[in-house]
Amino acid sequence: MADIAPTTLPPRPQAPLLDADFLARLEQLEIISRKIHAARNKGERQSRRKGESAEFADYRNYVSGDDIRHIDWNIYARLDRLFLKLFLEEEELNVSFLLDVSGSMDSGEPQKARYAKRVAAALAYIGLCNYDRVNLYAYAESVVASRNGLRSRRNLPQLLKFLEDAPLGGGSNFVAAARQFALRHTQKGVCVVISDLFDKHGFQQGLPFLLGRNLDVYVLQVLSPQEMEPELAGDLKLVDVEDEDVAEVTISKPLLAKYKANLQAYCESIRDYCNQRGISYLLTATTHPFEQLVLTYLRARGLVR
Amino acid sequence: MTFLSPMTGLLFAGIAIPLLLLLYFLKLRRQERRVSSTFLWKKAVQDLQVNAPFQKLRRNLLLFLQLLLLAAVLLGLAEPVANFSRTPEKRIVVMIDRSASMKTREADGRSRLEHAQDAAVDFVRDLPDHSSAMVLSFGAVPTVVCTFTDDKRRLERLIRGIEPTDEPSLIGEALPLAIAYSTNLVDIPGVGGSSGAGSSVPEAAMQGAADIEFFSDGRIADADRQYVTRGNLRFYRVGATADNVGITAFDVRRDFERPGIISVFVQVENFGAQPVKTDVGISLDGKPLPGPGSIREVQLGPAARDKGASPGGSEGEEPAGTVAEALPPAQNVIFEFAHEAGGMIQVEVHRDDAMKVDNFAQAPIDPPRQVRILGVSDRASMRVFIEKAMRAFEIQDYRLMGTEEYDNAPDGDIAQGGRSAYDLVILDGHDTDRLAPGNYLFFGGVPKVEGVSLGDLVEGEPIIFGREDHPLMRNVAYEGIFISKWRKLELPEHAVSLLEGSDSVLMAALTDPGHRYVIGSFDLLESNWPIKEAFPIFLQNAIGYLASGGLIETKRMIRPGDTISATVPAEATTATITRPDGGIDERPARPGTILSYARTKDAGVYRVAFDDPAQTSETYAANLLDANESRIAPNERFTVGSENVEAVRAETRVNEPLWPWAAGMALVLLIVEWWIYNRRVMI
Repeated sequence: MADIAPTTLPPRPQAPLLDADFLARLEQLEIISRKIHAARNKGERQSRRKGESAEFADYRNYVSGDDIRHIDWNIYARLDRLFLKLFLEEEELNVSFLLDVSGSMDSGEPQKARYAKRVAAALAYIGLCNYDRVNLYAYAESVVASRNGLRSRRNLPQLLKFLEDAPLGGGSNFVAAARQFALRHTQKGVCVVISDLFDKHGFQQGLPFLLGRNLDVYVLQVLSPQEMEPELAGDLKLVDVEDEDVAEVTISKPLLAKYKANLQAYCESIRDYCNQRGISYLLTATTHPFEQLVLTYLRARGLVR
Repeated sequence: MTFLSPMTGLLFAGIAIPLLLLLYFLKLRRQERRVSSTFLWKKAVQDLQVNAPFQKLRRNLLLFLQLLLLAAVLLGLAEPVANFSRTPEKRIVVMIDRSASMKTREADGRSRLEHAQDAAVDFVRDLPDHSSAMVLSFGAVPTVVCTFTDDKRRLERLIRGIEPTDEPSLIGEALPLAIAYSTNLVDIPGVGGSSGAGSSVPEAAMQGAADIEFFSDGRIADADRQYVTRGNLRFYRVGATADNVGITAFDVRRDFERPGIISVFVQVENFGAQPVKTDVGISLDGKPLPGPGSIREVQLGPAARDKGASPGGSEGEEPAGTVAEALPPAQNVIFEFAHEAGGMIQVEVHRDDAMKVDNFAQAPIDPPRQVRILGVSDRASMRVFIEKAMRAFEIQDYRLMGTEEYDNAPDGDIAQGGRSAYDLVILDGHDTDRLAPGNYLFFGGVPKVEGVSLGDLVEGEPIIFGREDHPLMRNVAYEGIFISKWRKLELPEHAVSLLEGSDSVLMAALTDPGHRYVIGSFDLLESNWPIKEAFPIFLQNAIGYLASGGLIETKRMIRPGDTISATVPAEATTATITRPDGGIDERPARPGTILSYARTKDAGVYRVAFDDPAQTSETYAANLLDANESRIAPNERFTVGSENVEAVRAETRVNEPLWPWAAGMALVLLIVEWWIYNRRVMI
């Protein structure tokens, strides 16, 4: 009988999603949104809208009906004209994470799901530190778990628990998940999608749901080294971990070359799609140090500052 | 293409092909691996398949290759052979020439007979299954090597076992025998081997005549006197060499007037296309004769172009017109020397050519003695004639007696040691059966032997024909002879007529074992012959031819294949014959009878020794002396009856085994399969 690779990996010691040193470094960062959002609640984030914060922005002439509390009386005394003091609005930012927890994420060495959770945890913690409203959605065939409205760093344990407890398995259907997310989550903000994007239903069709909500979308594609450089040989029966689909292949040099070319073309098609729609796209391998990813690459991409 | 072992191939095919298919279905068990997604893999596979031609075929390309490989191996197992020749008939008579000319060494050092055996073996191998063939070898006499059988291995073995002879090529007996076998399928027990198990003789007998496949160099002496009544005759020519010089005539004589002098006549002939200069030497008892005359140089011109000879016989360009070419191709050499004792004379042509057997000729000689002649006549005038003749020829030892005296004479008077006491007995007008082994000349009477009698009286007819080439009639001017009447001679078939009228024979020579007769059915005194010059000439010829047995036993010079006839001396019970190859045969002998020995296929000296108290022994020499055999250039065609028989390609008949090609194909397929497997282009 031929060898059958184990369907599940043996339990391995789980490192904490975030360690203390890294948390300290994350606290200095904040998540940036390139769009102006009308948040329901006041937040600590300075908005480009004029509002009621302590920070002066501009003057304008008084018109009837304006709040007289904002009239600058010193100016009136000097010029005898009514001017209204304008202050920068301070508002909260919605930071949402769509985290792929399908069966395909439960593969790779290092595991893709773990890597994705750590990235999500890091970015969410940045949001918590900046009093952003952090929303977490785990999806497979659909949204399987969500946690909304986390704010301030005291919610960090809940954040980590949610991520740790997110169930792995099942098929992947980003379109359905994006639709559900868009229905539930009407507020604008930043949406970070973390997935391997191996979605047989078509990944691209899901993104318009997010763009329709005027979200600032970031797509982070996580692949394992086994997917990028397969180390397979011989006559194999490849079984899809999500839907048990089978592909019988005889591994050969041309076939491997063709696979890599297809993978590259697939990734490039996603990147092109994202670029055309103002979506930030980043491909990373699970072997890439995620601290560096967060502190360097995402910073370079403008997601954090 | 035919298969030597079709059943083997089919048997293995029956086992191996289902086994391969079974293994093919069982063999591919893929390892299972779980991957995050298969869609990229499937896409890669599809891309490769789209780019690959003949996808349907390629899906099972390895299987096809394996099936092809297996087919090639099975083909090899079935031992295919390429048979580029025609499809032979189902029953074949293979005739193989084993005459002297087939001993000729060809350029490759092998004899023509070996080439003929190769060609015949190839031919037999090419025969379709269930064909039957018989093998007949022939020189002067035919031998059934193998009767009809379909056992090819047996046929091959027996063909390889055929031995060459020094006999001339004669198909006078062989061809009728082959035709008889092919039509009646005669089975001679004990000859070569009877038709073996599996022979298809009964069916073959129902199918008419077999074809005759004739392997020879085409030098058949009596071909034009034969004809093929049934079946077809196909001639496979073997051989190419033509260069040969040989002795074609040889005679040794003691002059009965000077018995101490021996004359040796040798005719040497060149059969090659180039002029030849060679030496001819003579030796006595193995030692060259003393004196310078024992070796003579002869210059021979090229042989006349033989219109039937093969192109290979010309051996080079056309000869230029030189003096040498103006020479005749044959020269006579005469050695004359004094020798009072017996011995063995050998003449040799000192030349290394393709045919050795005709470079030698041998003759046993006896010590000289006086010729003894007996005249038997009741008529005084005839006695006078005989007596005058004896005196004229200076024959001292002669005797005359009447017919009654002859018939009543004691045995010791007319016979000694089982033979006639006289070298020649001349009988006038007397029919008798008192004929001890010896030589007899009859006038007006006949010997009382089977097949000889006197028929109707013929009167007033002239002599129409005289056989001038016979030694007895040499220089006899028969045109001037008138014989008033004679009786028509009734003779056996082997008698040779010497004088003939319009429809009758009046004089003939007859040779029976131990006896030689010359019979004239007329009364000498009723002709003008005794008063013509032709009569003493004839008598001299007759004494030389018949009575010279006392001087040189010319009957002891035979041709290969002839029968040796020796008179068994008194008290002898066994004869021991020593052959030229050193082999010894023993034969029972009865005193007073003639011992016949026919195993004389080789040229050389045969010694017959008896176990009588006197230890009598006689020596015989078998010489080829056959210009037809010595002319070794193979014939492209010869005539049988009125039909020309053209050579078919004997040398090109090859039975090329194809199994190495099948094995090579299998190897190539194996390599291709290995390459495809390693390239993994087949998904």
